[in-house]
Amino acid sequence: MGDANSILTAAETRHLLKRTGFGAAAKDVAKSQQKGNTRGRAVDALLKFNPKKFQPGGKGKDPSLQDSHDQWITYMLKSKFPLQEKLVLFWHDHFATSNVKVANTRLMAEQNLLLRLMCKGNFKDLVKAMNKNAAMMEFLDIVRSGRHQPNENYARELQELFTLGVLDHAGNPNYLQDDIVQIARAFSGWRYDDKKKDTAFLDSDHHDFIADFPERGPKTIYAVRGGFGASGRSFAAGGEGAAEIDTVIDIIFDHTDTDGKNTVARRMAGRLLEYFAHASPDIGVIDEVVATSGFNTNWDIAGLVRTILVHDAFYETDVTPPFTAQSQKSITWPVDFVVSTMRALNVAGGGKHGDALRIDGGANIRDRLTDMGQSLFEPPSVFGWDWETSWISSATLLARFAFARDVIGARVKGKSGFHPEKLISLALSAPGAIVDAVTDLLGITDQLTVDERQALIDYVSDNGANTVIDLTDPDVQNVKLHGLFALVLTAPAYHTH
Amino acid sequence: MAITRRQFLKRSSAVSAAALLGPGLFGNPFVRRALADTIGDRYLLVIFLDGGNDGLNTVVPVNDGGGSLRTSYEAARGTGTGGLRLLPSDLANTLIGTDATGAQLALHPGFTGLKQLYDLGQVAVIQGCGYPDYSLSHDESRHIWMAGDPNNLSGGANGWVGKHLAANYLGSEIPAVCISDGVAGELRQNVTSVLAVHRLRDLGFPYDGASDADIPAKRAAFAALCASAAGSAQPGLQYIGSNGTATLLASESYPALDDLYVNDRSAFNDAYDAIDKSSARDLREVAKMVYGVKTGVPNVHARFFQLSNGGYDTHSDQGAAATDGQQYGLHQELGDSLKIFFDDLTDMGEADKMTVVVWSEFSRRVPQNDSGTDHGSQGPVFVIGGGVTGGVYGNHPNIDPAALDDNGNTVYSQAAGAFRSTDFRDVYGTILKHWLNVPEPTILSGILPIDSGNANTHWTTNDFDLGFFT
Repeated sequence: MGDANSILTAAETRHLLKRTGFGAAAKDVAKSQQKGNTRGRAVDALLKFNPKKFQPGGKGKDPSLQDSHDQWITYMLKSKFPLQEKLVLFWHDHFATSNVKVANTRLMAEQNLLLRLMCKGNFKDLVKAMNKNAAMMEFLDIVRSGRHQPNENYARELQELFTLGVLDHAGNPNYLQDDIVQIARAFSGWRYDDKKKDTAFLDSDHHDFIADFPERGPKTIYAVRGGFGASGRSFAAGGEGAAEIDTVIDIIFDHTDTDGKNTVARRMAGRLLEYFAHASPDIGVIDEVVATSGFNTNWDIAGLVRTILVHDAFYETDVTPPFTAQSQKSITWPVDFVVSTMRALNVAGGGKHGDALRIDGGANIRDRLTDMGQSLFEPPSVFGWDWETSWISSATLLARFAFARDVIGARVKGKSGFHPEKLISLALSAPGAIVDAVTDLLGITDQLTVDERQALIDYVSDNGANTVIDLTDPDVQNVKLHGLFALVLTAPAYHTH
Repeated sequence: MAITRRQFLKRSSAVSAAALLGPGLFGNPFVRRALADTIGDRYLLVIFLDGGNDGLNTVVPVNDGGGSLRTSYEAARGTGTGGLRLLPSDLANTLIGTDATGAQLALHPGFTGLKQLYDLGQVAVIQGCGYPDYSLSHDESRHIWMAGDPNNLSGGANGWVGKHLAANYLGSEIPAVCISDGVAGELRQNVTSVLAVHRLRDLGFPYDGASDADIPAKRAAFAALCASAAGSAQPGLQYIGSNGTATLLASESYPALDDLYVNDRSAFNDAYDAIDKSSARDLREVAKMVYGVKTGVPNVHARFFQLSNGGYDTHSDQGAAATDGQQYGLHQELGDSLKIFFDDLTDMGEADKMTVVVWSEFSRRVPQNDSGTDHGSQGPVFVIGGGVTGGVYGNHPNIDPAALDDNGNTVYSQAAGAFRSTDFRDVYGTILKHWLNVPEPTILSGILPIDSGNANTHWTTNDFDLGFFT
C-alpha cells in the first residue's frame, strides 16, 4: 500500500505529468522529481496555482470563435500550470455547452472563465454558478422556460449529467420523471441581462408559483429516491422565488443512493477517477477517495483530485499485474495530442489572428482539431465528447498523422518552426541512441516495447545497413531525423498516456 | 504501395457469386433475395439534401382529385415575378402516382432523371415524412434525422446507420465511407472505422515529401508499430493499432480504385463528367468503390456510404419551372446524377444490391414569400434501388390553409386518415428491417426508440413494413 509519502519512480512521475498536463519530456520529469520526489509533494506542486482570470477572446467583447479558440490553445501552450487547463477541459466536457446552439461567443468565453476560476474550488458552488451561467441558460433553454409549461431540458441534464447520474451503482434510478418536472418549476422565469454583464435574474412574471398552479402540487422532490423518506424534500421551504434554484442544488447534494452513500460524491469521484486514472474505476476505490478527501461534505475539488493523484489506483500498484509503463493507458484527447506535441517540440503558436497557429502547409489548429473530432466550444451534444476509443477512426487518425507530418515539416525560422538541432544532440550517431533521444524528448521511451523500439532503429539504420548516422548532414536531417520524429508521433503508444 | 493493375488481376480471381450465376439468373427476384440474405452483399447509400428541400415543389399535386390539394397549393404558391407555382403543363413529363385524396402527383420538372428511374419501378416516393414537435433549426433538425432519435433516448450523437455499424463491425474493419472531409452524422459511432474522403485518389498516408525512396522504410516501421500495438493486451493500444493498420491499408487500396475505374469504365466515367456537378462526381466515387468490391480489390469492403448535396436553403430566388431556376438546377443535377449512377450499377450487375435513401432536414413553409420559402416541417423522402418496389407511399401533408399551424407549416399527425404523416423513423425502420435484415426488437431497442405521449401526435406505434421492399 502506497500513500502520499511513497517515492515516485521516473515512470510514475511521467505518468503523473502526462495525465495532469500536456506531455512529459525527460527534462520535465527530472524537474518534477527535484521539486518533490514523493507522490504528495509532486501533486501539491501541480495543484499549487491560483486560477487565472484568463478569458479566451478578451473580456466583455464579442470575439470570433476562431480568436477564442486560438487564444485558448496559445494559453495551453504557454501555461506553467497545465493542470488548471486539464481541469477546465474536464469541466468543459462535463458541463458541455456548444456555441452551435448558444451562438454567442461572448457568453462562451465568460463560461470558460467561470470554469477556470472555479476549476479546483467548491463543486457545489460551481453547480450553483452554472445554474446562472448565461451560456448554459441559453444552451439548455432556461431562458425559454416560462410558468405555463416549464422547460424540462435543464432540470433533466442537471440531474442526469451534471450531478446525480441516471442510475446509481446498484443500477437503481436516482430520480423519476416527476422530479424533473418539479425541478423545472424552480428554473422557470430565469433570464440574464446582457446590459449588466450577462447577470442572471428571476423574472417573477414568468415564474411558476404554487398559488397559480395548485394542480402541480407542492414543490417537493425525491419522495421515491434520494433517501429523504416518503415526504421527500421541499425546495420552496426557504421561500418561493429566486432562492429555489440554490435550494434544489442543496437537496441534490444531500441525495443518497440505494447503498446509502452520497450520490453526487460517488458520481463525481468516479468521473474524475475515469478522467485522471482509468476507465471503470472500482466502487471500493471510489468510496475510499470520497472518504479520504471528505468530498461528500466539503465538496473541495482540489482535495478530491489530490486524493486521486496520490492513490494506488492512479499508479496501479493495486492491480495485477502491477503498474508498468504500458498498462491501462488512456487514449489522449485531440487537444492534448496537439498541445503536448507543440510543447515538446517547442513549436509555439502566437499572435491573435485566425491563421496564427497555422502549421506550415496545412489548416489551422482549430480546423485540425475538428478533423480529429474535438471542436472546442462545440462539443457534439450535452453529453460532451465520447472518450477513449471513440476518439479513433481512420479519418481522425489521418488527421492526427497529417498534423504530425506538418508540425515536423514546419521548417520556418523563429519560434513557430521546428528546430530539431535545438532539441537533441546532433553529435549522436548510433541509431539506438538517436531513437532513445527522440522518444525521451516525446516522453514515450518506457511505453515502447522492445519490438517497437527495434522497428524505429531499423528505420533509422535502414535495417542495420547504416550503423553510424551523421545527423549534421542536412540530407540525413531532412530524411531520417525528421522521419523519425514523424514516425514516433504516429506510433500508437504516442496517442495514449 | 499502390496496387498495380497486374497485381490486381491476379488477386481478383475469386469471382463473385453474381458473375458465376450469370445475369439472367441473378435477375430473378427470388434468387436475388435468397442470395442477398445469405451472402450479405448489399449496399446502402444515404444522400443528405442540405438546407431543407422544398417538398411542396418536389412532389406536386397536379389536380384536386377527390380533395383540395391543388386548390390549396395554388393558394400558397403564386404566379408572376418570384412566383413558385408549377403549372400542370410544367409537370406533364414528370407525372407519378396519386395521393390518398385522389390527387395526381408529379415530381418537380427538373427531376427528369429521377422520373426515368421511377418509370423503371425503382423509386419509392414517401410523402410527408417528419417527426413530432418539429424543429425549424437546420442544425437541430439535421441531428434529429441523423440520429433517428428526436428524444435523444439512445444517447450521445451516434447516427442511425452508425448504431447498426457499431453492433456489427470491428475496429479493424472499414464498413463505411463518407464522401466528405469528416464522418457524417448518419454514420457516427465509436466502434468500427469509418473512412471520410472527398476524392479517393487524394487519399493517402501523410508521409512527408522529403524523400520518396525513404517511404518504404517509413511504411515498414509504421506497420510494425501498429502490428505490435494491435497485439497489445491493453485495449486502447490494441484499438489504435488495429485502426492504424486498417487506415494504412485503406490509404493504399482505395486510391487505386480511381485508376481501375477510369480504365475499365471510361464510358461511364465520361458520363458523370458530362453532368459536371458535385453530386455526379460524389456518386462516381461510390461507384468506384462498388466496382472495387465487386472485382475483389484487397482491403476494400465498404458497404455503407454517405454523401451530401448543399444549396437547398432557398429562402429567395427558389425559381419555379424555369430551367435556370435554383431548385430546378438542384433537382436536375441530382436526378440526372442518380440516373447515370444506376445505369452504371446496372451495367456492373450491382443495381439490385444498392439502396439509396434521399432525405433533407425539413421541408419548407407552405405559403411562399416574395421569391422563396422559409423553414418548414414534413417533406418527402426517396428510397431508390433495384430492390425497391417503386411507387407513391404515405400521404401528402395537409396544406389546406386552415390546417396549417401558426408558423404556416403542416402539422405532424399519427391520427388515422388521409393526412396521417409518415414518421421518418418508419422509413429508416423499413430499410433496417427489410434491407439490412435487422430484427424489429433490435431496431427499437438500439436504433430507433419509440416516443412516449399521445398516440395521435407522437410516434407511439412503429410500422417497419411500409411496403417499398416487398
